[in-house]
Amino acid sequence: MSEAHPSIRVPVGPPAAQSPAAATTRDAAHRPTITPPIDIHEGPDGLTLEADLPGATESNLTIQLEHNVLSLDARIDAVAPEGGRLIHQEYPVGDYHRSFILSDDVDRERIAAELKDGVLKIFLPKADRARARRIEIQS
Amino acid sequence: MAGPDWRGGWDPFHEFQREMGRLFQTFDPFQSLRHIRTFPAINLYVAGDAFLLSAQLPGTAPDEVELTVTSETLTLRGERKRPEGVKDDSYRRQERFMGRWSRTITLPDRIDEAKVSAQFADGVLTVRLPRAEGAKPRQIAVSSPS
Repeated sequence: MSEAHPSIRVPVGPPAAQSPAAATTRDAAHRPTITPPIDIHEGPDGLTLEADLPGATESNLTIQLEHNVLSLDARIDAVAPEGGRLIHQEYPVGDYHRSFILSDDVDRERIAAELKDGVLKIFLPKADRARARRIEIQS
Repeated sequence: MAGPDWRGGWDPFHEFQREMGRLFQTFDPFQSLRHIRTFPAINLYVAGDAFLLSAQLPGTAPDEVELTVTSETLTLRGERKRPEGVKDDSYRRQERFMGRWSRTITLPDRIDEAKVSAQFADGVLTVRLPRAEGAKPRQIAVSSPS
């Protein structure tokens, strides 16, 4: 599936005054919150959730399960060194956040997560009692 | 919703609809983002004598990205594939961009192709593009006619 993406043309000219967006990335008090895109697919043993979290590392990512709410949070800093000035922006730099309510059909004890190349993969196994059981029919 | 139904329709997910930050475009979490966002999203910075480009390429390995630089343009190309062995009809939700992509960026100044360097970390590609010698700004003294 191929899509045409627009080319970027960065305007040439005198440097503009710092845009509000650039100021935001430096101002911890106004860090934007980003909802990361996710895919969910279902297998025989449960669900797999994959979230795109570019910039997330094991040290800045928190996955929490509290009561029945599963939440992802990551705090991301811009790649530009101090003194770097943003001249073209397509994505905000800030904090990822997304949360889900899990039903009782998820086996909480066996939830597993792995992070690789900015993609978080969470496996949510089905609790035993939620799996279809074959019942032998006695003749 | 495609996919096999669990008995009684197992739906372990129910997502909070949240008020999002006011500063940036908000997305309906139930809508596919593929047609809203360009992939990869790119930010460009100026730092000293170089441009710094960062592209968000989650789930991409360095050898899956083709990077071409001329004196004033940079092209990134690649393809993002879905995980293998997952049937299309087993997806409950698909928001992540997948497929072939390509982006071309025209830079404000000429750059020194020989000095371009790139690194990949945590799904973010960072390319350092030093300006060419002749492209660096020079101060030109303006004299008044005597």
